[in-house]
Amino acid sequence: MSVDPMAYETQFFGFTPQTCLLRIYIAFQDYLFETMLVVEAVMLKKLDGIPDCKISPSQIRKCTEKFLLFMKEHFDKLFAKMEEVLLQLVLNIPKNVLLPEDRVQQQYPCSKEEFQALQDEVQQLQQQYRAEVALEQALRVELEEQKIVKAELEKTLQCFDGLDNICREHGLGNFKECFAFLTQSAKKLQNVLKEVEEKSKKLKQHDQLT
Amino acid sequence: ASGDGGAALAAGPGRAQVFTTVVDTFLEKLVAAGSYQRFVSCYRCFYKLQPQLTKSIYDQFISQLQASIKEEIQEVKNEGNLEGLFSSLDKIVEEAKDQEEPAWRPSGIPEEDIRSTMVPYLLKHRSHLRRALREKEEENRKVAESVLMGRDRIAELQQLIQARQQAWQ
Repeated sequence: MSVDPMAYETQFFGFTPQTCLLRIYIAFQDYLFETMLVVEAVMLKKLDGIPDCKISPSQIRKCTEKFLLFMKEHFDKLFAKMEEVLLQLVLNIPKNVLLPEDRVQQQYPCSKEEFQALQDEVQQLQQQYRAEVALEQALRVELEEQKIVKAELEKTLQCFDGLDNICREHGLGNFKECFAFLTQSAKKLQNVLKEVEEKSKKLKQHDQLT
Repeated sequence: ASGDGGAALAAGPGRAQVFTTVVDTFLEKLVAAGSYQRFVSCYRCFYKLQPQLTKSIYDQFISQLQASIKEEIQEVKNEGNLEGLFSSLDKIVEEAKDQEEPAWRPSGIPEEDIRSTMVPYLLKHRSHLRRALREKEEENRKVAESVLMGRDRIAELQQLIQARQQAWQ
């Protein structure tokens, strides 16, 4: 015979129904015995006060035992019936009843595979998110660098534009051409100077020899 | 007699009521079994000597036994908050009355049972991540656009500068 552990009931009540009833049984039984002992004690005391009493304490004890035996038999039978009713009607949770604290079990049934898939998906999303954050970092760094480079380039361009404006202001329309011409002329002059220098050197040498 | 005048939600008597009735019945029948006649028949010798005292002792015995038993029941009720639990359970049972299928019961394996408890949290987490990822991707798309535009602009500037340089040669 397998005993129903009544685990679900225990979850609800905070105690095992059978244990509760056992406690009650023992307590009731104790009270029965105790009260019987009191009965016996009262009787013995009374008999003590009677001189020439024909009734011995052991006789009284036999009476007590007789009555107690009778009471215990009925007590056990009645208690068994009470226990049955309590376990079936009071201290039980019907099979179709789900405790509110377990509602998720009904709302979100989930197999091992489904759960694993869900966990994997969450993990993947986390990785993807982290990748996007890293990308954001890189993009923002480049944006900052671009700002600096742009500023430098724009400054350079402004310099050139500045020069153009000066030329225009001073009526040097083709300043660039003049500048280029001058640069060329300067180079030519340098070459001529060099030739002249060399020629004069040769002449001096020639003079010295003659 | 029910001590609570509150609404009786259950179709029949509530668990508290049944509990009280069952205990009272037990006591009644026990007292009936341990009748005065039975008592006297066991303690005949004493009864012959002291009939009135016997009656008095019996009465006290019965009343003491009843009082002790009732007190014990009350203690059990108080310690376990049984009245409250009984009425809760009655309500829960009433709400489930249209459920025909047997309900879920713990499997005894914690890893199995905890799954369903965690599913709502995972679902919430997943939807939060999905939204955050979507927003971040959208943000990054815009920033990437700016970066590309920036690169184009820088190339443009470099070309312009090169052109000026050449003009000054």
